[in-house]
Amino acid sequence: MEWTRRRFLKASAAAAAFAAAGAMHLGKRFADEAEAAEKGITWGKAPCRFCGVGCGVLVGVRDGRIVATKGDPAAPVNKGLNCIKGYFLSKVLYGRDRLTKPLIRKGNRFVEASWEEAMGLVAAKFKESIDKHGPDSVAIFGSGQWTVFEGYAAAKLFKGGIGTNNIEPNARFCMASAVAAFMNTFGSDEPMGCYDDLELGDTYFLWGANMAEAHPVLFSRLVDNKLKNPRVKIIDLGTRRTRTTQMADMFVPFRPQTDLALLNGIAHVIVRDKLYDENFIKNHVVFKKGKENIGYGLEDKFKFDDEPKAITFEEYREYLKPYTPEHVEKISGVPAKTVVELARMYSDRKRKVNTLWTMGFNQHSRGTWVNNLAYNLHLLTGKIGRPGENPLSLTGQPSACGTAREVGTFSHRLPADMVVNNPEHREKTASIWGVPAAKIPAKPGPHATEMFKALDRGDIRVMWIQVTNPFQSAPNLSRYRKAARKDGRFIVVSDIYPTRSTELADVILPSASWVEKEGVFGNTERRTQHWFKMVNPPGEARNDLTQTIDLARRLGHGNLFNYQGSTEKAIWEEYRQFTTGTGKDLAPYETYFKVRGLRWPVINGRETLWRYSEGHDPYVKKGEGIKFYKNKAAGGKAIIWARPYEPPAESPDRHYPFWLSTGRVLEHWHTATMTGRVPELKRAYPSAVVEIHPDDAKRLGIRNRDKVRVTSRRGTVVLPCELNGRGKPERGSVFIAFFDETKLVNELCIDAYCPISKEPDYKKCAVKVEKA
Amino acid sequence: MKKEPADTEAKQTCLSRRGFLKAGALAPLALFTTGGIFSCLLLRSSGAGAFLLRPPGAAEESKFLGSCVKCGRCAQACPYGAVKMAGAEAGAAIGTPYIVPRETPCYLCPDLPCVKACPSGALDPKLQDPEKARMGTAVIVDRENCLSIRGLRCEVCYRNCPLIDKAITIEPRHNPRTGEHSIMEPVVHRDKCTGCGICEKTCVRDKPVIVVMKTPPRQRDYYDF
Repeated sequence: MEWTRRRFLKASAAAAAFAAAGAMHLGKRFADEAEAAEKGITWGKAPCRFCGVGCGVLVGVRDGRIVATKGDPAAPVNKGLNCIKGYFLSKVLYGRDRLTKPLIRKGNRFVEASWEEAMGLVAAKFKESIDKHGPDSVAIFGSGQWTVFEGYAAAKLFKGGIGTNNIEPNARFCMASAVAAFMNTFGSDEPMGCYDDLELGDTYFLWGANMAEAHPVLFSRLVDNKLKNPRVKIIDLGTRRTRTTQMADMFVPFRPQTDLALLNGIAHVIVRDKLYDENFIKNHVVFKKGKENIGYGLEDKFKFDDEPKAITFEEYREYLKPYTPEHVEKISGVPAKTVVELARMYSDRKRKVNTLWTMGFNQHSRGTWVNNLAYNLHLLTGKIGRPGENPLSLTGQPSACGTAREVGTFSHRLPADMVVNNPEHREKTASIWGVPAAKIPAKPGPHATEMFKALDRGDIRVMWIQVTNPFQSAPNLSRYRKAARKDGRFIVVSDIYPTRSTELADVILPSASWVEKEGVFGNTERRTQHWFKMVNPPGEARNDLTQTIDLARRLGHGNLFNYQGSTEKAIWEEYRQFTTGTGKDLAPYETYFKVRGLRWPVINGRETLWRYSEGHDPYVKKGEGIKFYKNKAAGGKAIIWARPYEPPAESPDRHYPFWLSTGRVLEHWHTATMTGRVPELKRAYPSAVVEIHPDDAKRLGIRNRDKVRVTSRRGTVVLPCELNGRGKPERGSVFIAFFDETKLVNELCIDAYCPISKEPDYKKCAVKVEKA
Repeated sequence: MKKEPADTEAKQTCLSRRGFLKAGALAPLALFTTGGIFSCLLLRSSGAGAFLLRPPGAAEESKFLGSCVKCGRCAQACPYGAVKMAGAEAGAAIGTPYIVPRETPCYLCPDLPCVKACPSGALDPKLQDPEKARMGTAVIVDRENCLSIRGLRCEVCYRNCPLIDKAITIEPRHNPRTGEHSIMEPVVHRDKCTGCGICEKTCVRDKPVIVVMKTPPRQRDYYDF
């Protein structure tokens, strides 16, 4: 019987009458039934499948099916809580249209095939392309949702087997700027701090981050610190008012791209008023300057190499001279006195300062620079490496850190901070992989955007896409969508559901997901988390790891994966050799079975909360205090970079007068291939809307929920508008969430990228807005 | 039923968890034995607490019933098909317009086409601003099942509220169970709530824990807070 609300209320009232008359008995019976319902459920631990926060969940399995999930009370990240996506984890794998059989394109339709047929075809296409056009004509595009094993196997096969660096993760679209800045500032990827800083600090600068929606459970930790401690201040800096702004103590809106000027303005005041920590700078910092006017990568085969030059503190001081608060006000729109106020807060000796950021910084045509400039403030004031005061780059995928970055599934990287253009690194990698060093090409492959351009040009002909949906998420989509269907291209997509990428494929391979396989993810705070396989994948779906190894065997590279016993354990122990003794040390495989993750470096079973910090990081010797020991080239010091303000690739003009930014909402994740299959989440947020400032809407005669056409030089979408909703862009800006597969919103975005990190700028392009 | 730590919450509310569960268990039994579905339909229309959510601008229920000519033009005018016409189960209210928010709520059209279409004034033509509509008031009827109140980051009702930060606000408080997170509790403010029902529609629970009910009458006193 379907219970309507009214009937329910009445029933409750009616039932109250019975309550006195011996209902205890019935209550007891129901309790027994509830217990019986729980019987037969076995619970296992796993990290959540969604964002980079890395909440722990308990997965309840009965009769080979996930019947329940709940937050893991023992998980230190979330202590039993979840966001609304995590709450519905048990449903994400059971959408009705789950892919269960390999599919091969025949003209305009897909026909079911056996694995043998499908993999035979894939291998034949790889072989043919490699024979005819060389190993650089094939590529794999993976993800920060790859398990460590999947990413590792893909990197080993492509770099060590096929002999091409044509491997990229979608993390290039989201974390690459953070990576580039970690490397050029500290000589090692990933943060020094951890989530404990959210409780231990008292001042939090959030730059271009809507933590309230994109990192939900972490945000509730931050807010709790504020509730406990009236000293705590949250300062939100951005171009759109969000749910994060609502909870912040202060909102500092600035014009898009001018965070570069604002950060330099804050540094200017710190240096001008001598608010810096002179001792810290003397002992731990050197100054550098790089190339300027560095372009936007809009042309194919764009090349850029930075030329860092050492400079002195005096030269740096000179460099900052133009960024007076008044000048910064002119560029950014932030009042001069606010610039001074921010500088005072950053440098206040009594304040424990943290900087947190996400896509506003990373998806930025000067993403590496803006990351550098944030580190500058911490390095000038010495607020780094100590409990409660750190810069923390938040991540958006469950294993952007653990797989994409640590395993190094980028075209220029190798495991554990190593790179392909370093002969020693290639040597070390080859020896662990058991391949000749000459096998790994010294030249980095194309980065993600260039990879899709190469597909369009025909330099890449065969591409395998695993665990990601680039033909919805890439910027300037239409060029790349067309490229995928060009003659002579062959696209393989492994996924669990039909997506906007599978529709362009030649072969679709049904994958196992999450607890349908064994896995390891690594979250934002360097926490490595393991889970066991708990259920079988549906139909004939297979683990991506199995798929990759299958291709390896068919291409004659099976010897790379001749493991005895558990493949996962063998891969882990092999991979672990890369990390041992490097400051990125991982523990033996079995260690992770019992714990709710450990933060590396793990030495003698002990995790590290704060890297580079004496008493916390075992690599820092007694008496050193803070030591950036990974930056050997700079004598164990970190770098303060002189980086200027430069305008974005495309700014609003007469024809396209608005800024466009795309991003996330709490209810959906990435392209909603999983969350879109959960009816409750779909009902909660069914489709994308465009957020417009009410003043702009009024001027254009647009009312709430009117259909609006948003057009850029690259595409157009029509969708309803929302005024005064959960997000409110500043005047002259509009915002659209990119999850909606019926609206390819990223088609509007320009594929300009940061020349250093090669990460595209999804947050800034010019559009016009009309009533549709 | 296993006792959960969150149960401490229940003590603060008038409806206890236990009573609630019992009610849920007993009701179908009671209804079944007293005439099943048919009596259920009767109860729905004639019970003292019966409440039909009327389109924006509707007068107080008895006045509305007196002036509505049951022409159905408001239903025709609604671009979302949210306005339905009541059938026989509504008793005396047969043929009058109503909204079932869980199916389709009122989206508060800026130009209020339903009000404009009403020929009888049953939907008050003086209502110009949809935010001034007072169809009912959203109430969290089931705190124990509200994921936000249990500390999860849900707040779907809040983020979808067309009067976000006015009709629904978030009142964060410390979560003593984890010791380091905050509970983001949605709180409805009856003076601002239009009763549009978007919160009820979007609630992620199988049975919505936030529902639109008849706005309780204002009770006067002399405190100015």
